[in-house]
Amino acid sequence: MTDGGAILEARGVTKVYETRGVETRALNGVDLAIGEGEFTALSGPSGSGKTTLLNLFGALDEPTGGEVRLDGEDLAGLGAAALSELRLRKLGFVFQAYNLIPVLSAVENIEFVMVLQGVAAAERRARAGALLREVELEGLGGKRPLEMSGGQQQRVAVARAIASRPRIVLADEPTANLDSETASRLLDLMERLNREQGVTFLFSTHDPLVMERARRNVRLKDGRVVADETKTAA
Amino acid sequence: MILRLAWRNAWRNPRRTGILVVAVAVGIAGTLLTMALNYGMVFQMVETAIATELGHLQVHAPGFDANPELAVRLTDGGRKGLSTLDGLAGVRAVARRVRGEGLLSSPRASAGVRVIGIEPEREARITRIAASVTDGSYLDGVGRRVLVGEALAERLEVDVGDKVVLTVQDLAGELTGEALRIAGLFVTPSYELDTSTVYLRLDDGQSLLGLGGSVSEIVALADRRSRVPALRARLASELGDGAEVRSWDELQPVLVYLIEVFDQSALIVYGAVFVAMAFGIANVLLMTVYERTREIGIMRAVGFGRRALVATIVTESLLVTALGLGLGFAVALACVLWLGDGLDLSYFAEGLGRYGITSRIVPVLRSGDFTAPVGVAIVTAVLASAWPAWRAVRLRPAEAVRQT
Repeated sequence: MTDGGAILEARGVTKVYETRGVETRALNGVDLAIGEGEFTALSGPSGSGKTTLLNLFGALDEPTGGEVRLDGEDLAGLGAAALSELRLRKLGFVFQAYNLIPVLSAVENIEFVMVLQGVAAAERRARAGALLREVELEGLGGKRPLEMSGGQQQRVAVARAIASRPRIVLADEPTANLDSETASRLLDLMERLNREQGVTFLFSTHDPLVMERARRNVRLKDGRVVADETKTAA
Repeated sequence: MILRLAWRNAWRNPRRTGILVVAVAVGIAGTLLTMALNYGMVFQMVETAIATELGHLQVHAPGFDANPELAVRLTDGGRKGLSTLDGLAGVRAVARRVRGEGLLSSPRASAGVRVIGIEPEREARITRIAASVTDGSYLDGVGRRVLVGEALAERLEVDVGDKVVLTVQDLAGELTGEALRIAGLFVTPSYELDTSTVYLRLDDGQSLLGLGGSVSEIVALADRRSRVPALRARLASELGDGAEVRSWDELQPVLVYLIEVFDQSALIVYGAVFVAMAFGIANVLLMTVYERTREIGIMRAVGFGRRALVATIVTESLLVTALGLGLGFAVALACVLWLGDGLDLSYFAEGLGRYGITSRIVPVLRSGDFTAPVGVAIVTAVLASAWPAWRAVRLRPAEAVRQT
């Protein structure tokens, strides 16, 4: 991936956590670029640094060393408000579980980011309705998260993540709490969005199913990239 | 969105929020009701003072305020004052009086008394003395008769129709007395009137006190209390240096002081109630912030800014407080309406009578009683949410989203 085509880029990124005087090196000089339209999985054993790297790409945390760039812009030095705005405009998130705001219905959860973006109410409703159809949850828009299954909740989370029309969706273990059939259907959905709408996805995962579906697999171990394989089209 | 989130968050745990709302409501209602009863008592003291003796305005000869002696009198018989007051809009009634001091004696006992000579018909339009007669009759055209309080009559062991001797020091400084017959007995909310005041006709008083045609004072009643300051200024301007014009609050400044004391004590009570309330609200909000750590992290991750987060928590605090306030107001109003005829304090009646308070206290709520707690509540709600909001914005999204 060239510098010019990268949405996200890590250059010599290190991340050190310190707890009661004990330092833990979660990332140790990671160089990685994610290009537009990719469907990439970050995998590796627990403690390999995949979630840490995803958090740094998601502007949820700051590196101890190196640079993280989004659309070529170094995130270092941006204030909390600027990072929040950047997440709102350019990034979509799908977390492992309990992704949704429980007091809002499915459609309100999808509209949530659009409200923050200042999208007009009529357009919001139209887009949220279309996204519900897209994730095959038409008719369930009025349901609260607790009234939905785990798979349905993750589909709403995907709809919310792409509702803001982000540059990339970061998904942290999105299938971890789902059975294999539900996980497969969720991946079908994300693959379709990637293929048909060009939505870029970056996963952190342990799940072999996700790795199997990903077109690019980046393997981390002890805070370093130890493998980076891109599948060739069949 | 913020209002919707705040409202729904407030009701995620209905029992907890319900308890908080009820606690706020009980505090507000209790405080309001206490204030209403306290103010009702003060209001009654003021009304009693005005309706039994003070009136709204009094006119005296210059120097009466500093030296209220018999010699300081309106030598024109109050005619100028009367005609001026009669011509002023907003004056409901006017009467003249003479005042002195004396000794009222029966065959069995005697008591020091205030002697007040009144114009019976005019006085009846100003004070409640005519309506307070419980036995015998009010003063009428027949002279040499007196009205005394039931308590005084009991002390002197006399009754309606009995003769008493009223001894006074007249204008010339001579001791003089006259035998008078008791026309009637009265009971008022005023201990002082009931135990140590004798009413007689104005001409009998002038004669007994050697005042000739002079009077001690003119008393006037306005059609509403709010008109008194303007009437006082107008009357003072019309009468010039020839008279002293004073309003009820100048004649009894202690009543005004009492109202101010009650208003200030209300603020202290509100302060105490709201401080306790603030801890309750802060506690509940802190718990909800801890419970929602992951959710707050996710909201922050998808772009919910710090300001919006603070606004949501402050709004939640304001909503809960507003509910408590509304419920408290409703309960207080319902109690005040229920106590419309007053709260019976007859057990303490004798003690209260010394302060011009009847045995039945009617609670009085003023508009300010509602506006003051609203202001304090808004400040309390914002302050109470400051700590939880600070906790929430300090959460690091990367750590918060990992919370389970």
